[in-house]
Amino acid sequence: MEFKLEAHRIVSISLGKIYNSRVQRGGIKLHKNLLVSLVLRSARQVYLSDPCPGLYPWAGGFFFFPTGGPWRPPPQQQPGELAAGPPAGWGEPPRPPPTEPQSELSAVSEAPRVGDAVPAATVTGVGDVPQGGEADAAEAAWSRVEGPCQAAAGEAEGPAGGWAVFPLGSRAARRPCGCPLGGKDPPGTPAATPRSACCCAPRPAEDEPPAPPAVCPRKRGAAGVGGGPASCPAPSSTPLKKPRRNLEQPSSGGEDDDAEEMETGNVANLISIFGSSFSGLLRKSPGGGREEEEGGESGPEAAEPGQICCDKPVLRDMNPWSTAIVAF
Amino acid sequence: PIGAGGGGCPAGGNDFQWCFSQVKGAIDEDVAEADIISTVEFNYSGDLLATGDKGGRVVIFQREQENKSRPHSRGEYNVYSTFQSHEPEFDYLKSLEIEEKINKIRWLPQQNAAHFLLSTNDKTIKLWKISERDKRAEGYNLKDEDGRLRDPFRITALRVPILKPMDLMVEASPRRIFANAHTYHINSISVNSDHETYLSADDLRINLWHLEITDRSFNIVDIKPANMEELTEVITAAEFHPHQCNVFVYSSSKGTIRLCDMRSSALCDRHSKFFEEPEDPSSRSFFSEIISSISDVKFSHSGRYMMSRDYLSVKVWDLNMESRPLETHQVHEYLRSKLCSLYENDCIFDKFECCWNGSDSAIMTGSYNNFFRMFDRDTRRDVTLEASRESSKPRASLKPRKVCTGGKRKKDEISVDSLDFNKKILHTAWHPADSVIAVAATNNLYIFQDKIN
Repeated sequence: MEFKLEAHRIVSISLGKIYNSRVQRGGIKLHKNLLVSLVLRSARQVYLSDPCPGLYPWAGGFFFFPTGGPWRPPPQQQPGELAAGPPAGWGEPPRPPPTEPQSELSAVSEAPRVGDAVPAATVTGVGDVPQGGEADAAEAAWSRVEGPCQAAAGEAEGPAGGWAVFPLGSRAARRPCGCPLGGKDPPGTPAATPRSACCCAPRPAEDEPPAPPAVCPRKRGAAGVGGGPASCPAPSSTPLKKPRRNLEQPSSGGEDDDAEEMETGNVANLISIFGSSFSGLLRKSPGGGREEEEGGESGPEAAEPGQICCDKPVLRDMNPWSTAIVAF
Repeated sequence: PIGAGGGGCPAGGNDFQWCFSQVKGAIDEDVAEADIISTVEFNYSGDLLATGDKGGRVVIFQREQENKSRPHSRGEYNVYSTFQSHEPEFDYLKSLEIEEKINKIRWLPQQNAAHFLLSTNDKTIKLWKISERDKRAEGYNLKDEDGRLRDPFRITALRVPILKPMDLMVEASPRRIFANAHTYHINSISVNSDHETYLSADDLRINLWHLEITDRSFNIVDIKPANMEELTEVITAAEFHPHQCNVFVYSSSKGTIRLCDMRSSALCDRHSKFFEEPEDPSSRSFFSEIISSISDVKFSHSGRYMMSRDYLSVKVWDLNMESRPLETHQVHEYLRSKLCSLYENDCIFDKFECCWNGSDSAIMTGSYNNFFRMFDRDTRRDVTLEASRESSKPRASLKPRKVCTGGKRKKDEISVDSLDFNKKILHTAWHPADSVIAVAATNNLYIFQDKIN
């Protein structure tokens, strides 16, 4: 039983890492993602092999992954259906995952959530986490996620494409507190709604200090110190230092490119682990995924800032990897 | 004794004592990410010490000559040159940002008055020339002292320009840029013993370059599978043999090391030797694969041995024995029970480096809490030391540290749960001849020397 819980937890953590890696500077790190996918596979095997009929954390939770758009359950959502998608063995969930976004979330809040210390067995683990990089890295990842939405407003010429890496398409991601959503906004809506509708979330980014340097996209070339037009404050006193660019682009690599793309085969592994019911997740180009789900939006740039997660203060307080779970 | 640089130590005498010598970098608690040191390397003579940081800068320190009038500053390293090696780039086609972080610096052997080094970020390698200028020509005919051109018709007499001394200026100029040869992230560069070629390695490929030629390189290792879904391992480090210019090794994320001979074929996908220690099945966990991933591999100066670093240990291999390592040294075995937490906070992915001393009698590697470890291969003794501001009084001896793994914590011991995992020592370097070490602790560079030195 403990093995199953532990494995479940590790799967959640691993998913969170893969998720975060998509928004890290410098592109997806193949080595790290490969290692994470190996852990994911081991944990999955343990999870499946541990005979423990009583506990089924909402199995659907494993399959959900913040992608370009909100997760839409396949039509005719039945328990059997769900099990049919992923490789056999995930088991029958005790109840069908709901189809409504709101009830998805309430199901989330009811289901044991690994990150939120509901199961006692995992609480200790949370407490034991040594101070380290993951929370900071995730927070930093999140803050970078926020940044471009502000920058996008002020600076139309971001690098083309790929702005919308923020795989937080799932509106659920904006509800880390677990509140049901106020409305069923179509994904394309520049959504101020989610934030304001949530009673639990602290006030959005208006409260924050003016865009941190991380927000500024940097102009290349002659800009020198001082960066781009957003007049980012130089974070360092060294004259040679320039504000760091905040363009989080995973290696999007379309299949059509002539030049070799930095493929991330690990995500292909995820396909085999989780089954193809998960389309959109594992496209090399996150923009591609969204286009499919959002029915041809004008482009990633149009990805509403409002859709981008939630506020820094909330995120800071959360376990980073539970955001991945919560996103469902 | 640990740290014996060249000569022996008195038999049965006291160990050499490592003492604080210098620390470079800001004292600020708030560390700017750009200032985090990402590589440290002595040059062949040890007179120059280069560091690279996440902001793409290179700082070179030079050792002061011994000076009788200032005996205490003997052997001190002072800033010699600072320059911006790499800038962040954006690949618009792939929508990829390329970090400016300096992953590795490698010096070239010195051939004239100038110094040359290779520095690399994830995608581009640059050859830098660092040269001194301490003279300036004056008395040109066609231009005056400010550089303005003189009217030729006004010139009534000719003179020969003369060289006048000036304040020493150290200039760094990029002489070669080796770009566009790596699809994945470069993790290693290594200069060949022929002093003409070098290799660069990314996750899946290793390329061979000629130092003079920037527009092409030879691919000598390619482990990319035809179907990326079948990817099971990546290259984590690579190095040329110190004497045999046809031999190099590369390590993998699966804990294996392959030695290749470039004479055998153009593409060295088939190794000549394969070094792997069979895994102990009793210690298997979710994280066995991660902790077996090799983060660094280094030949000994003699070329007879090599050393590999994985998450919990350092292994010394005899090149003539592939089946298992000669020695295994535990760096921080007490972390084995914490692997899940270390996975959560990403520390398990930290890539520690390792280094040999000049005589190959000792090895050093870093750990957490600003601890670093030294292992003496002759006496089989090891010591844990700390790089901290507290023990930073001039010539103060470093006190050995000890981590308490359970039970009663003795005085002066630190318990595993109190370790600061944000303070990690990933990069260390040992002077090629003397008992001087450089230890990078986040944004600070510590230099320690042994008392005798």
